[in-house]
Formats: sequence, C-alpha cells, structure tokens
Amino acid sequence: MESNAGATETRSNVTVSDGGEVAAFESLQFTDEIHRLISAPATDNASSFTALLELPATQVVELLHSPESVKLIVASAPNVEDFKGSFHFPSNTGLIKKDARFSVFSGEGNNKNDKSNSPEMTSKNSSANLEKAVKSEPAETASSLPLVSDPTVENRNIKRKDREKKVKGSTKKSKPATNESLEDAEKLPYVHVRARRGQATDSHSLAERARREKINARMKLLQELVPGCNKISGTALVLDEIINHVQSLQRQVEFLSMSLAAVNPRIDFNLDSSFTSESGSTMDGGNFPSLVTPLMWPDVQVNGYRQQFQHQWHFDTLKQPIWGREEVCNNYVTPENSLLSYDSSANSAATLHANQLKMEL
Amino acid sequence: MMNTPQQVKNPSSSLKSRFITRFLGALTKINAEDPISSPSPTRIFQRYRRIKVASNKSMAYSVRSRRIWSRAMLSRFRSRRSAFSGRRSSVKTTNCTTINVTINENKTAKGGLDMQTDELRELVPGGEAMDVCNLLDETAHYIKCLTTQVQVMRKIVDFCHLSK
Repeated sequence: MESNAGATETRSNVTVSDGGEVAAFESLQFTDEIHRLISAPATDNASSFTALLELPATQVVELLHSPESVKLIVASAPNVEDFKGSFHFPSNTGLIKKDARFSVFSGEGNNKNDKSNSPEMTSKNSSANLEKAVKSEPAETASSLPLVSDPTVENRNIKRKDREKKVKGSTKKSKPATNESLEDAEKLPYVHVRARRGQATDSHSLAERARREKINARMKLLQELVPGCNKISGTALVLDEIINHVQSLQRQVEFLSMSLAAVNPRIDFNLDSSFTSESGSTMDGGNFPSLVTPLMWPDVQVNGYRQQFQHQWHFDTLKQPIWGREEVCNNYVTPENSLLSYDSSANSAATLHANQLKMEL
Repeated sequence: MMNTPQQVKNPSSSLKSRFITRFLGALTKINAEDPISSPSPTRIFQRYRRIKVASNKSMAYSVRSRRIWSRAMLSRFRSRRSAFSGRRSSVKTTNCTTINVTINENKTAKGGLDMQTDELRELVPGGEAMDVCNLLDETAHYIKCLTTQVQVMRKIVDFCHLSK
C-alpha cells in the first residue's frame, strides 16, 4: 500500500501539467487501487481507507451539498462498481487538476487520529485521489444547481487543510498559480479555507478564519464605497471613517429637508405618469455630465441660504462641512435662468418649472 | 445574500426613479396640506420633520423588504404610527435590546473594534440585531441609498431655490 501510495503521489505531481491522456491511464489505476484497498483487512484504525469507506453512499450527496462546513467525501465499499463507472473521465481535465489537491477528506482523517504521521499521509494521498473522482462526478451533477453566486466571497473562502509538506497558501484571492484555479472554487458547492503552515486546523479556528475573511472582504468593499478610505490602513480607522461618512450623509438629509421646508416651492409637483417613465429612462443615462456647470453660482446661493438660516435655525456648524463636501454639481445651465418667467400666472410658471424639473431629474 | 452590494436594477425602474416618484408625491401632499404662506418657525419646523420622514420613508419603500435596514425602518414607521393611535409599541425595542446584550457578550473576542461596531449599529437602522458580517453588508447598501437620497434632494432644493 505504501508503494502504491508513493506511485500515486508522484503521479499526482505529474498530472498537473500533463494532458488528458493521463487521465485514462489513471482511471485504470484507480480501479486497481480500490480493489487492493478494499481487499486489505479492515482495521479499527479510523485512518484506514476501508473504515472511512463504511459511510453509506447516501451521505455523500448530502455531505456535498451542505454548505459551509468541512466535509468528508466518502463512498461506501459496496459501490465499487459505481466507482468504476464514474472513472470514465478521459477528457475530464478538472479531474487532473483536482488530483494534486489535498482534500477535506484527508484532513478529517487527521483530526480523527492524533496528529498525522507521514505514512498515514501518503496512504491518504491515494485515497484522496480516489475520492477526487467521486467528488468531480457530484460536482458535475451539481453544476446545474445554483451555486453560491458571489465568486469573490467563494474565492476568498477556499478552505483546505494543508499537510506539513505543502507550500503554505495565501488566504487571499491571489492563490499560488500552480494548482488552485478560480473555476475549481466555483464548481464546488462548499466552502474551502486554506490553513497556513503551522496554524491550527481544527474546525473552530477554521470557521473563525472563514468568518474573518468574510468580514475583511466586506470591509474592502466599504472602503471603496467611502471616499478617501483607500489610503487608510487599519480596521478601526476605516470603521471610524465609515461611521463619519454615514453620519454626514444623515445630517445632509436633515439639512436638505430643512431647506426644502423653508424654501416654499410655488411649483406644482403633481407629475403625471409620463414623468415617471421618462425619468426612469433619462435618469440612468449620461444626462448628468451634460448638465454640469461650474460651481460658481452656488456660492452666491449658499450665502443666501446662510443668511436665511442663521436667523432661524443656527445651522452654522452644519453648513461648512456640508457645502465643502459637495460632490454633485448642480445641473443648471445658467442661460436657462433667464428663460424662467416669474409672472403672476401660476399655471404657465408651473408647467415651465415642471418641464425643467423633468429635464434635470 | 452573498451578492455584491450593488443592486441589480431594472433600467426602467431603478432605485433612484422609484425614490424620486415617491418623494415628489409626498412633497406635493405636504405642500397641499400646509398653508404655504406661513413663514413662522414652528410651521417650518413641522414641515421639516414631515419632509424628513417622507424622505426616509420613500427610500425605505423604494428598497422594500430586500434589506434588513429597510425592513427595520418600515417597521419603525409602522410602530410609530400605531403608537400615535394609542397602542403599545415598546415590544420591538425591548426585543432589540436583549439581542443587543447577547451579541455584545459574544463579541469580546473581536477586541477593540466593539466600540466602532456598536456605533455603526446605532447608525444603521435595525443594526442592533445583526452580526458584524451582515452589518457591514447593510452599511454598504445603506450608504449607497443615502447618497442617492442626498443627491436627489439636493437637486430638488436647488431647483426650488432657482425658481424662487
């Protein structure tokens, strides 16, 4: 069994770079291996392949599809015939790629014993190759299932327990180019996390690490959303910045609703359905850049606001930061100001203003 | 829920257009109810409160129940309305506080970031009952919606000032 394992290990190192014809060769080898392994006396040692094979096959699919946990992929001993059938993957390059990876299966075996020795590792290597084949078959059937849709989150949460010999992998998206490919992560419906060299590999710390990676991913997205956060390093400062941004946005809403209350619009906001449909079509397009004007004239208006509000609401502290932070340019072309007529007839003014509001919004 | 924070929008009914229609409708209603000519500070303050509520409500209704924060905000509005009519609305708040306590006890492992996450929970509606992961998600969407809200309101204000 040792020599067999050794052969499979070398073969696994080779198959990464080889083409599809190797898979056919391997499929034959697998069947031979299985027969040998199964014919070996079943020991009480939980690390043996046969003991692990004793899990019923029905659990395989369930284990595969239950999310977010470290799973065993085992097939039962009586279903060797199924294995034979499943090994006809001569053109399955995915199988080749998965050969060299060490799976959850092996890791679980480690956990069941004391810390694994290398002979056990190599024996698991052969079994790992075996169950890769099994894994790929349900993975192909599961490809019709709606996989977890966020590739970024999945790629970050690639859980894999490494052997001591294995090169330590990074937990980030930039994985070592040799084996890991994004498509593998997307094919498999459960979560993998790579354990670094020397780190604990029990399920609690793995779950903790997956959680931390998720949180870091979300923090990155938030950093992109909040302006000026990219340069800041350190979670606490970034969170402070995010909190400040949310607070300032909420205060801006309050300030704007106050100015809306004070402004006393004379126009009629009654807009018919044509406005709504039009606004939907013109809104998301590139209309805004065409209507951007320099920020000159709002300065005049700002002073007007300030005078008005200073008397009534004492909004001094609010005004400076809000107007300083103004990022959206006002969308008024100044020649249009002269077009507006402030005559007494409310109807004409109302329709004209409504049209202009339509355009700008 | 593992989508990117960007909402998948139908171009004909984006978040922004939904918010605009709702908010403008609310504004017309408020303007119709109030006698516009009264410039007294109390009246203006009442209008301000109404407009603020209308703005937040319009945004929450535009997002519907797709997000935890919008659901929390909508339930807050509904409970507030029922509180005005005399019914008890304190049940929701007590539930939130008990959940808050348990979450804080479990989060001691996170270290010094508890203060910031607590602050964030206070800011984002419905944040008390979320774990950190969801909280960050909701914060991102909430920031996006707030930005839209501010943008639209600013345009309306500028337009109204212009037409004065």
